[in-house]
Amino acid sequence: MTVWAPVEYTDVVELRGPLVVVRATRGVGWDEQASIELETGERRQGLVLEADHDLAVVQVFEGTAGIRAEGTRVAFAGHPLRIPVGPGWLGRVCDGRGRPLDGGPPVFGAADAAVNGLPLNPTLREPPSEPVLTGVSAIDLLTTLVRGQKIAVFSAGGLPHLELAAQIAAQANAGGETFTVVFAAIGLTHADAATVRDTLDERSAAGELTLLLNLADDPVIERILTPRLALTIAEHLAFAMGHHVLVVLADMTGYCEAVREVSAARGEIPARRAYPGYLYSDLASLYERCGRVRGRPGSLTVLPVLTMPAGDITHPVPDLTGYITEGQILLTRDVAPYPHIDPLSSLSRMMRSGVGPGRTQPEHADLAAQIVAALSRARQARELAELVGESALGEGDRRHLALAEAFTRRLLAQRGDEPRSLADTFDRAWEVVSVLPRRDLTMLSPEALDAGYRGRR
Amino acid sequence: MRDALGPVTEALLRQARLDADAVAGAAEREAARTVADARREASAVIADATRQGEAEAAAHAAAARARARREARGRELAARREVLADLRGRVAAAVRALRDDPCYPRLVERLGELAREAGGADLVVREHPDGGVVAEGPGRRVDCSLTALAERAVDALGAEVERLWAP
Repeated sequence: MTVWAPVEYTDVVELRGPLVVVRATRGVGWDEQASIELETGERRQGLVLEADHDLAVVQVFEGTAGIRAEGTRVAFAGHPLRIPVGPGWLGRVCDGRGRPLDGGPPVFGAADAAVNGLPLNPTLREPPSEPVLTGVSAIDLLTTLVRGQKIAVFSAGGLPHLELAAQIAAQANAGGETFTVVFAAIGLTHADAATVRDTLDERSAAGELTLLLNLADDPVIERILTPRLALTIAEHLAFAMGHHVLVVLADMTGYCEAVREVSAARGEIPARRAYPGYLYSDLASLYERCGRVRGRPGSLTVLPVLTMPAGDITHPVPDLTGYITEGQILLTRDVAPYPHIDPLSSLSRMMRSGVGPGRTQPEHADLAAQIVAALSRARQARELAELVGESALGEGDRRHLALAEAFTRRLLAQRGDEPRSLADTFDRAWEVVSVLPRRDLTMLSPEALDAGYRGRR
Repeated sequence: MRDALGPVTEALLRQARLDADAVAGAAEREAARTVADARREASAVIADATRQGEAEAAAHAAAARARARREARGRELAARREVLADLRGRVAAAVRALRDDPCYPRLVERLGELAREAGGADLVVREHPDGGVVAEGPGRRVDCSLTALAERAVDALGAEVERLWAP
């Protein structure tokens, strides 16, 4: 087969749901990209789900409505789905399959890459290091994102996780180094998509963002491709062009549901809650595409956002994600003000590689540990107060409750359109810890306390 | 009798006047306080309204700027798409013009060979009404019409196309 004379197969034996079964094919492989031309001249795209002898089962992205077995022609590309890669993606808004939604021409690139990606040589991996600053105080201070890390946002249903994801995508930076964001919106309603587009408009206009919008009424197979497209675009920006790239995948629960649907269509044996048994390795094949590569300047940080169905953290999607990612940011209804981050259930396992002298502030790790310890004691004090009443608490417990209240009011609560600099965040953090007497701040060094403590000495 | 009640009346009157003065004074003070309160409240309302107005104006200006930026970007992208469509049209016309070329029969022959190489020797080759050839066989088809070739030629350009709008 050549580019100039591709063979089209015309023997369509069956049309079933989104599937087209073609007979008398030659050399067609699994997962190959297919192009379907209808008698009307309309062209649709698909992927080979199954190839057996001369039979090929093709899943048509747009569905088979309006297709007749006679007069339909199917051509195979000879390789799995590939997309052009390069700076042409920056500043563009496309659908979940990379077709423009912004009225522009298709995206072009000097090179192209398979959307499934290639495994990274493990010996060339560098551990994550240096922070990604999100401009959200609670994240930057307590669960700092580190370049090359994968960290998930877990949200109970109904919380504004999408707003938080969009806010992070709009504000995140790498302290002056070239920073770009690829935002893959998966299974969004039109209203949510419009909100995300508005929030990210400025960054998109500045040519620092690629937005892939897969809507709830788009075909499910497209939903499976969207994060892969996003990561393929990001890998090139990071490892070939040297950008620091943040990939936000929201919402991965929608992705997993699409995987379940396609798996059922393929007739695979269902596992836990009808998700396929390979869901873990499938998610790993996405999340593990983050990282840093020795000898290359860029980095790829992945921030998957997922809703926990019925708030259940043991549901397969958050459960399997939690095994792969290096930490999580948990949103809960128990924390009233936006962004609803629960500081005691959130953790960034790579944080120590991204904070400290020369990266954020010298006292960052100690200050974060001190605040988490104090919030933990405050939680115990609150539980005790529920039993004996607040007036029966000791002076120390009451001070810790005051600290928790100051933390929520001064540091955690933040508007959705308010970017906070690291200096501002630290200013607020010192204000919060200064609610306690200096002698209680045992995790902070005397030098740090001399410089930052504001309470009575 | 009247004289005898005179001092009482006077005392009552005096008392009444004093009371009236006190009430009037209190009322005046009260009025002054109310006015001062109202003034304070009004200035607070005005300050609030000013702040809100400023915030709204800033938000409005930001929204207008974003809209303008989006519109400008949209126009630029639409122009690029038009240029690309124009290129496709020109390439198609140029390729179709090959029919008048003296070498056209040789081209048709070569395209027939190419189609059978790709799809198999059992394909039956016929000329396409718009130029070029189409080869068909059982369950297979190879389209080498001039229109399809023109489309493929533009697709094959890849990122080269961006030179159309590169500064």
